[in-house]
Amino acid sequence: MTLYELNSLVREAIEDSMAREYWVEAEVAECREARGHCYLELIEKDEQTATPIAKASAKCWASKWAVVRPYFERTTGQRLMAGTKVLLKVYPQFHEAFGFSWIVTDIDPTYTLGDMARQRQEIIRQLKAEGVFDLQKELTLPLFCQRIAVISSETAAGYGDFCHQLSNNPYGFQFETWLFPAVMQGEEVERSIINALMRIYDQPFDCVVIIRGGGATSDLSGFDTLVLAEHVANFPLPIITGIGHERDECILDMVSHIRVKTPTAAAALLIEHLKGVLDGVEGAQERVARAAQQRLAAVGYQLTALEERMPLLIERRLLAESHRLELMAEKIKGLDPAIMLGRGYSITLHNGRVVRDAATLVQGDEIETRLKSGTLHSIIRPPLTPPISGGEIGGGTP
Amino acid sequence: MDKETKYEVAYNELQGIVRKMEGEEMDIDQMAEGVKRAQVLIKLCKDKLTKTEAEIRKILAQD
Repeated sequence: MTLYELNSLVREAIEDSMAREYWVEAEVAECREARGHCYLELIEKDEQTATPIAKASAKCWASKWAVVRPYFERTTGQRLMAGTKVLLKVYPQFHEAFGFSWIVTDIDPTYTLGDMARQRQEIIRQLKAEGVFDLQKELTLPLFCQRIAVISSETAAGYGDFCHQLSNNPYGFQFETWLFPAVMQGEEVERSIINALMRIYDQPFDCVVIIRGGGATSDLSGFDTLVLAEHVANFPLPIITGIGHERDECILDMVSHIRVKTPTAAAALLIEHLKGVLDGVEGAQERVARAAQQRLAAVGYQLTALEERMPLLIERRLLAESHRLELMAEKIKGLDPAIMLGRGYSITLHNGRVVRDAATLVQGDEIETRLKSGTLHSIIRPPLTPPISGGEIGGGTP
Repeated sequence: MDKETKYEVAYNELQGIVRKMEGEEMDIDQMAEGVKRAQVLIKLCKDKLTKTEAEIRKILAQD
């Protein structure tokens, strides 16, 4: 029997006993495309030891691949590549010359999606356990956030849009951007972005912007790795991500300071931020002017009011003073003895002193009595009758 | 002092002057001083926003 004949037996045996399609779970170990066909190496590892316990080649012919691939990539947001867990619909083929291979007729992207979600959850859990998940959220953008380090691919349309929008902002804000080129898709993403971050690290930037041009959904799995997330989370400058994609936010977005959808949105955010500062400055300008005006107006008003009240105050004061003087004059007038003499009262003097008590005088004392006009001189004589109370006035004899 | 902090300090000083002036914590003389100082700070901040210093270019162009 020739080798061909023997191989034909194997082929017939397989075709007879396994003449149907199977859904199989496997991990992609290798994936390459040639002439539109996709060639895969599948593997299954022991869960504990990670050593391979099964291996097989698989092919997806161009006619199928052209349908299956876009659906898979659109749904999962990533390409088939080493490490991807897949659920494939296959049938066996044994070819006399090329040996055994599984022929892929379909791929279920939801299985891969589920696996990716599990992996993401695990990475998130780990970042939280390390206490770095929210570190970027604790940073603040500097007020004058104008020196921007950009991580992007040089050729990406998104980078051009970003720069254009920044430099054509309506307020005349000046930004200084510097590009740190990086690979933005595929397996190189992690290494490439980390390299860029390291170059930015000790330069005087205000923030970092990681952007990716839009376009068709392509491979974003590189943004979902633990190591990259750790670098971003621990970075001392605020990082803004604008890596635009349709599916759930990736881990890079979760750990960054701010995530936006597109590079233009990132530019808009930076412009808005400076607008806020400008509003603060112009607001201060207005408020200072208003406060100063109000204060001056208040002082001026007080002065005017004082000026208006002044004559009244003076007049009132003068009136009060003259009234007081009049009263005083009245009082003084009442004290003048001439007025008392005019009313008929007199003053009696003895030896030039006023006599207030008759008992101080004795017989033979000479007294002087002053009237309103003229003076009487008298000598005290012996009493004829007991003295009348208060009788000394006019009690003398001429 | 770091160059960047200089502007942030200026901005914060400006806001402080506004608060004091509105709170009538100043007499007329201080008020006049405040207005003068505010004008300086406002110009400093506005210039920073709209005039490029090409700092990064100077540093990184050497690499």
